[in-house]
Amino acid sequence: MDSFLQSLNIQVITDIAIVALRILIPILGVIVVFQCYSSMRRQRRDEKPLIMLENAANGQVLPVLCWENSVGRAKGNDIVISDDLTVSREHCVILRRKEGWFISDTGSKTGTYVNGKRTEGRAPIYINDEITIGKDTFVLKRAQDYTDVNRSWFYRKEGGKEGIAPFALMMLISIFTLFMATEACLSIEATDFQPLIIFAVFMVVAWAFYIVSTQVFKRVGFELEGLALFLTAIGVMLSVRQGLHQTYVQIIACAIGMAVFCFMIKFLQNPDRVNKWRLAIMIIAVILLGVNIVFGSVRGGAANWIMIGGMSIQPSEFVKIAYIFVGASALDQLQTRKNFIVFIIFSAICIGALFIMSDFGTAVIFFGTFLMISIVRSGDYKTVVVSIVGAIFGGLLILRFKPYIADRFSAWGKAFENSADKGYQTARVLTYAASGGLFGCGLGNGYLKYVAASESDLVFGLACEELGLIVALTIAGAIGGLFFYARAITTKSRSTFYSISACCAAGLLILQTSLNIFSATDILPLTGVTLPFVSVGGSSMIACWGLLAFIKAADERTYSIKKR
Amino acid sequence: MFVFVLALFFFAGIIFFTANISINAGSWVQHSYNGHLSGSGGLEKAGKIFDRNGVVLAQTADGERYYNDDYETRLSTLHVVGDNSLNISTAVQSVYRSELTGFSYIWGLEMPETFRGGNNLTLTIDSAACKTAYEALGGMEGAVVVINYKTGEVLCSVSSKSYDPNDPPEINEDNEDEYDGVYLNKVLSSSYTPGSIFKLITTEAALENIPDIDSRTFECSGSAVIGGNEVTCMSSHGLIDIHDGLAQSCNIVFAQLAYELGRDKMTEAANKLGVNSSFDVGHTPTVKGNYNVKNADDNQLAWSGIGQYTDLTNPMQMCILMSAIANGGNRAEPYYVERMGGGDFEKQYPSEKNGEAMLESDIAQKLNDMMRYNVTSNYGDSMFGGLTVCAKTGTAEVQDGESNDAWMVGFVRDEDTPLAFAVAIEDGTFGISTAGPVAVAAVQACAEDMLANG
Repeated sequence: MDSFLQSLNIQVITDIAIVALRILIPILGVIVVFQCYSSMRRQRRDEKPLIMLENAANGQVLPVLCWENSVGRAKGNDIVISDDLTVSREHCVILRRKEGWFISDTGSKTGTYVNGKRTEGRAPIYINDEITIGKDTFVLKRAQDYTDVNRSWFYRKEGGKEGIAPFALMMLISIFTLFMATEACLSIEATDFQPLIIFAVFMVVAWAFYIVSTQVFKRVGFELEGLALFLTAIGVMLSVRQGLHQTYVQIIACAIGMAVFCFMIKFLQNPDRVNKWRLAIMIIAVILLGVNIVFGSVRGGAANWIMIGGMSIQPSEFVKIAYIFVGASALDQLQTRKNFIVFIIFSAICIGALFIMSDFGTAVIFFGTFLMISIVRSGDYKTVVVSIVGAIFGGLLILRFKPYIADRFSAWGKAFENSADKGYQTARVLTYAASGGLFGCGLGNGYLKYVAASESDLVFGLACEELGLIVALTIAGAIGGLFFYARAITTKSRSTFYSISACCAAGLLILQTSLNIFSATDILPLTGVTLPFVSVGGSSMIACWGLLAFIKAADERTYSIKKR
Repeated sequence: MFVFVLALFFFAGIIFFTANISINAGSWVQHSYNGHLSGSGGLEKAGKIFDRNGVVLAQTADGERYYNDDYETRLSTLHVVGDNSLNISTAVQSVYRSELTGFSYIWGLEMPETFRGGNNLTLTIDSAACKTAYEALGGMEGAVVVINYKTGEVLCSVSSKSYDPNDPPEINEDNEDEYDGVYLNKVLSSSYTPGSIFKLITTEAALENIPDIDSRTFECSGSAVIGGNEVTCMSSHGLIDIHDGLAQSCNIVFAQLAYELGRDKMTEAANKLGVNSSFDVGHTPTVKGNYNVKNADDNQLAWSGIGQYTDLTNPMQMCILMSAIANGGNRAEPYYVERMGGGDFEKQYPSEKNGEAMLESDIAQKLNDMMRYNVTSNYGDSMFGGLTVCAKTGTAEVQDGESNDAWMVGFVRDEDTPLAFAVAIEDGTFGISTAGPVAVAAVQACAEDMLANG
C-alpha cells in the first residue's frame, strides 16, 4: 500500500485522468445519441385517423390518416378503391390546410364530385359532405366517432416516461464537449489551453442557439438540433489540434448554419408558399452552378470551389438544399406531369454541372438523391431504370475520360499494396484507425492529422484514431438513425412536401455519410465528400443545417404544439 | 424503398467495417509509416526477448530498447529479433509487437506509460549457434537455418548482410546499394537458384514414376544433347546409376530424367515437395519458390531438372523438405517463438500438431539413404565430426553467369541430434567449399548445445 501511494506522482495522476476521460467520452457520446432518439420516440401522441370516409352504400369506413392523402385504384395510394374500374389509378387528393379540408381532382377520367357537383381545382369539403369518386359515394365523418389502433412502431405507447428535457440534453452535450476539450489540452505535444477557449466560444454559440430556439421560437423538441450540436462538437474538437483558424471558421459556419436552419423552418411553414418560390430557387441554384463552372478553382481534383473576398465556398453544397426544394412538392401538384418534367430537367442540369466540375462524389450524392426522390414521388420504376442506365453510361464516361478517378478505382480494396501512392490516404486511415482502439489515443495525439484532407474526407479515420471506435460508430449511428426518424415522422406530417423533403434530406445525409466513411475505409473507392457536421468545411456545415431543417419541418410538433 | 435499401447498405457497411477492424487491427497497425510505432517504436514498456537458453536478446530499460551486449550476437540474431523499427517485417519484434507491448485492440497504441506492460518472449533459437554461423559466413551474404526436425524448433537462423540494432544505419540514396536486402530475413523471404540440390526433387519424381530406376544406368561423357540442345556436366562420369549420379552430382543423369519424366510429372513432384508453396513459420509465411516449365522447351525442361532454368527455392522451404525426408515423409512445422507470457498467463507456441505428410515413407527412406551415400562416398564423414549426416550440395549458375549460389542442405540421422539444415550463400564458389563449412559450423554448434542442454 505504501509503495502504491509513493508511486502516485503527477505523471501517474495525469495518466489516470487521461484514461478516465478516454472512457468517459465514449460513454457520454452514446448517452447523448441514445437520449436524442429515445426522446424522439417518446414525445408523441398516438397516430389516430383525422377524419373518416363512410361508404354511403354499405357503411364501410375508410380512415383518413394523413394531412395529404392520395385516393385511387392503384395500390400505392393512401386510400385505395380497388374494385371499381371507373376510379382512375390516381384519382384525387384529400388534403388539410389551415383553413380546413379540401379535395383536389388530379386528372381523373370520371371526375370527383362534392354533393353532386364536379370539382375543379381545390374544393373545400366539410363534415357530412357527400363525395363521389367513380361509382362510390362517401360521407365525410369526424374521426372521434370511431376507434382505431393504427400506430407506428417507432413511437412508444402513450403514458411512457417523459423524454429528456432539452435543457438536460444541452447540459450533456456541454459536458461531453468539455471532456473532449480537456483531453485535447492533455495531449502529448500540448503546452496551451486553446481547446478550452474554443470550447467556450463554441458553447456561447450553442447556448445562444438553444435559447433562441426554446425561448424566442418556443419550439418543443431539441433532439435534432442536439444531434447536430453533438456532431459539430466532435468535428470542432478534432480540428482544434490541427489548426485554430479552420476551427474558428467551423464555429462561425455553424452559427450561420443555425441561422439558416431557423429561417428555413419559418419559410417551410407553408408548403404552398414554397411552391411559389420553386422556380426562383431553381434559377438561383442554376446561377450558383454556372458561377462555379466559370469561376471555379480546382482543389483535390474537383473544380468545386469559388473564392469570394478571401472566403472559399463550395456552391454545390447549397445546391443540395435547392435540389430538395425542387424535388419535393405538395401531393396534388406532385402528380402533375409538368412538375415531374421540371424536376428531371433540373436534375440533369445539376448532375451535368457536377460532371463538368468533375466533382464525382457530389454527383453521386445528387444521383442517389434523384433516385430517392423519383421513387418517393411516383413509385414509377421505369424512370428509375432509365436513370440507372444513364448513370452507368455517365460512370463509364467518367472512367474513360478522367484518369484521376480511374486511379482511385484501381487502388480500391488494395490500400496496403499501394500505400506509397494511390492507396496512401486509405492505408493510413486504416492503420491509424486501428491504432486508436476502442477508446482512441486521445485528441491531438493522432498522426492521421498530418495526412492531407484528414479533417474533411478522412475525418472518420481521425475520429477512430483520436476518439476511438465507439465514438466513431456513435457518429455513424447518430446520422444513420435520422433515416428511421424521418421515416417515422413522414407518415404523420402535414404535407407530402414535408414527407418527401424530410425523407430525401435524411437519405442524402446518410448517402453522404456512407460515401465518406466507406471511401475512407476502403470499402468503396475514394470519392472525397464530407461527413455531415463533423468534417471541417464551412459550406458543408451550413448546407447540413439547411438539410436538417427539412427533417425538422416534417415533424408535426414543429408547427403545431408551440401554439399551446 | 430505395431509402430503406440505402439505410440497409449503410448499416451493413458499418458492421462490415467494425468486424474488419476488430479482426485485422493487429496487422493494420504494423506498418513502417505508423507514427505511433516509430522512434522508440512503442517499445518503451515492451517485454524481454530470450533465446532458448535464457540469454537476453532484447530488453527495455528506462524507456530505451537495448539488444544483446555482444556485437556479433546482435548482428546474427537481428533478423529474428528485429530492431526498433518495423523495417524487418518478419522479425518477432514486428510480428509480435502487439504482444510485446501489451497492445490490445481495446486500448489502441497510445496508452499512457503508467498503464503499459508487455509480455516476455522466449525464442527457440540458440544465440550462440547463430553467432557461430554468422562468424562462419565471414561476411558472405546468404542464409543459414537449422531446425529440430522432430519438434520444429528453429535453432539457428541467420541472414546476412546484417546491421547492429543498437545503431541502425540511415539508409539513403547514397548507400542503398551497400545495404541492399538488409531488411530481408533471407531464411524466410529470399529465394535462390537451387542448382544441384534440385536433383533431390528430380530423384523423387524418378523414384515415384520409374519402377526400374535402381537398375538403370546412364552414360555421361561430360555433355549430352537433350531436347535438341546441349546439357553440360562438370566431369565425364561414364556409365553411372542414379545413386552415384546423385553422389557425384552428375548433370546428365538428372537432365535426362527430367526430360524423360516430362513437364507434368516434374511439376507434380515440385508441387508435392512444396517448391511452389509458401509455408507458415509461426505467423510468417515464407516466400514461394518457383518451378514452372509450362513454356519451357525440351532442353530447358532438362536444365530445370538440375535446378537451373527459372527454378528458385527458399532456404526455409528446403529445410522443411529435409525434415520430411528425415522424418520418413512427415514434414516439421518450424517456429521461432517458444513461449510468451508476463504475469499470469503464458501462451505456448505452437499448438500441438503433427507435420503433414509430404512424401511417401518408402520414397523418403530411399532419398534418406541416397543422401547418406552422398556423404559417405563423396563429401566424407570426417567433415561433420561425429555426426551422421545426410546431405546434398548445390552450385547454381545465376543468370548473369558471373557468380554462383552455393547451397548445402541436409540433416543429421542421429536420434539425439535430429537437426535439419539449409545453407544458401550468394556469390559462392562451390556448394561444398563455400556452404559446406558454414553448414558444418552451424549444425555442430546446435548439436553441441542440444547434447549439453538436452
